[in-house]
Amino acid sequence: MGLEIKFFSLLKLELKESGVEYDLDGLTTIEDLIARLDQDYEGIFSEKLLEDGQIKMGTIILVNGTNVLHLDKLETEVSEDDEVSIFPPSGGG
Amino acid sequence: MAKLNEGLMLRVNLTNQEVTEEEISKELIKEYLGGRGLASKILYDEIDPKVDPLSPDNKLIFATGLLTGTSASTGGRYMVVTKGPLTGTIASSNSGGFFGAELKFTGYDLIILEGKADSPVYLSIVDGQVELKDATDVWGKTVPETTDYLQQQVGDEKAKVSCIGPAGENQVLFAAIMNEKNRAAGRTGVGAVMGSKNLKAVVVRANEKKVEYDKQALIEVVKKHTKILKEDGVTGEGLPALGTKVLDNIINENGIYPTRNFQEGTFADVAEVSGEALVEKGYLKSNKACYACPISCGRDTKLPNGRSGEGPEYESGWSFGADCGVNDLNAITEANFMCNELGLDTISAGATIAAAMELYEKDYIEQEELEDGPELKFGSSEAIVYYTKAMAYREGFGDQLAEGSYRLAENKGYLEASMSVKKQELPAYDPRGVQGQGLNYATSNRGGCHVRGYMISPEVLGVPEKLDPQELKGKPEWVKIFQDLTAVIDSIGMCLFTSFALQAEDYRDLVNVAAGFDLSVEELLAAGDRIYNLERLFNLDAGIDPQEDTLPKRLLEEPLPDGPHQGSVAKLDQLLPNYYTERGWDEEGIPTAEKLTELNLK
Ligand code: SF4
Repeated sequence: MGLEIKFFSLLKLELKESGVEYDLDGLTTIEDLIARLDQDYEGIFSEKLLEDGQIKMGTIILVNGTNVLHLDKLETEVSEDDEVSIFPPSGGG
Repeated sequence: MAKLNEGLMLRVNLTNQEVTEEEISKELIKEYLGGRGLASKILYDEIDPKVDPLSPDNKLIFATGLLTGTSASTGGRYMVVTKGPLTGTIASSNSGGFFGAELKFTGYDLIILEGKADSPVYLSIVDGQVELKDATDVWGKTVPETTDYLQQQVGDEKAKVSCIGPAGENQVLFAAIMNEKNRAAGRTGVGAVMGSKNLKAVVVRANEKKVEYDKQALIEVVKKHTKILKEDGVTGEGLPALGTKVLDNIINENGIYPTRNFQEGTFADVAEVSGEALVEKGYLKSNKACYACPISCGRDTKLPNGRSGEGPEYESGWSFGADCGVNDLNAITEANFMCNELGLDTISAGATIAAAMELYEKDYIEQEELEDGPELKFGSSEAIVYYTKAMAYREGFGDQLAEGSYRLAENKGYLEASMSVKKQELPAYDPRGVQGQGLNYATSNRGGCHVRGYMISPEVLGVPEKLDPQELKGKPEWVKIFQDLTAVIDSIGMCLFTSFALQAEDYRDLVNVAAGFDLSVEELLAAGDRIYNLERLFNLDAGIDPQEDTLPKRLLEEPLPDGPHQGSVAKLDQLLPNYYTERGWDEEGIPTAEKLTELNLK
């Protein structure tokens, strides 16, 4: 098993995919993950999620349900069997 | 012409049909701004908070906000303020669309309706003429039928109609007041009060816009705000594309998506009912904006069978969906359309059915009681559609549902099934995984509600900054500021969603430029604090015990069984004392004399 990545909101609608599974293969942090996703999806991930190299206000990246902002932000480590959920800035109520 | 710092009130006595105009003092406007704040002050001064909410002694106020009808972004809202029949607290329900701005254009800032008409009537304010007219022909009609008919009656399809449906007439305790067919002053049962007064509708149309302010100066401020709202990820991209239903997956992935009447915190079938699914299944036709709104979060939807309408919004989709264990987006949307047509609050309607499902599955409701109705089983699409209609008409078992989950559960001897605060059903976030939101639910002046201080924004969405949802420190302060700022935004007549991108300074700029005030941010927030305390005083005088600042037992005692917050409960006991202190209330939750003097509430 590798890393399970789930896309939501505009990412899901624009990419017409609900996610992807990656082998870790040298990939250790969320930052690496975004770089890898950017390669595979024409840069859309850093465009939607980041601003000046940081996580944009309102972006939600969860590792097993915990927001990476409460872990190590972009340096948060990921490991085998983790589930990462990604949402571009969203709100409602 | 009416300046924004001056106010004109229309007083309508439904018992003797007398209509009079009264000026509202400038001091009151500066202290209470408009809308929710000003109307609450007037209600508190004019009625005994102990009145029976459905008696002629209660009053019903339609109030525009201070900036309603101006060019301020989203400045089109109106509020209905009264004593609520569901909770017994002060009730204040807010709606968008275009009715609020049109009411302001007539020159009246608010309408106060008193007494009770002998037979059904509607209030018509068209081209400067105020009349009470016979509504016998539309009594019993749905919201869209009533709206079309009354526009024809006044001979102007541009007239804006705010009305009740059969649910309001039948005094369902959570009946809504609907404008432009699909916009709702939804919560707290304001529609039942309107029904109790035999008032079917208020129709407004202005041939000239009687509202005066420095248009050029305001436009400069508004341009700046529009840019902020357009460039913001939430208000410029997320809300326009997916509406509020973007939240289904967010809240579910965070493990706080109440499922089967808050028995679980995640819903396995969320992908079937989410905002993304609404787009992918082709139900979403276009988005829709309210008056002066650059965000456009509204949804026009159409089902495969050709039925069309607006919604569902996040909360509505959740109450009939995950909360009832239903994974059928078609049925959920149909139930939502029916709530709009019959005039029901979607949150309380769905959540009351969810409570009934738990009661039924645990044998507190017998099958015979359901008469010809379908079984109340979690997951039943048939049940949500059938009982939505039955409760609006109080038919069969629907008559018991029409009293809301609290009275139903109490009556059946299992109060735990009512997931409510102060007898109003909780919305779509399980506080066991978001502690600040739990505190906000417990201290909301209108009972269980998410929009008195939307702590989901910092605790889950990370706006304006990300707070740890399980952290307790600092949360009482956050809740107080959010509640005060929300009271301000409501009272000036803007949409709460602007606060994802705008700051307190931005609202202050609008108020100062448009109304000619000279308020600091602190003074503006103090107005919010004043409004919050005034509502609290109303509730205390109404006999609402501060012990009711609590959460359902399940949330305080039973740990969440699943998801990332598995094992946690709502830690309200650790938050509430600090919240009282932060508010300037004593240990019992009563505002202190110093606090009341500081806010000029003595
Ligand atoms: S954000 Fe949505 S609810 Fe608010 S004013 Fe705009 S369209 Fe209406």
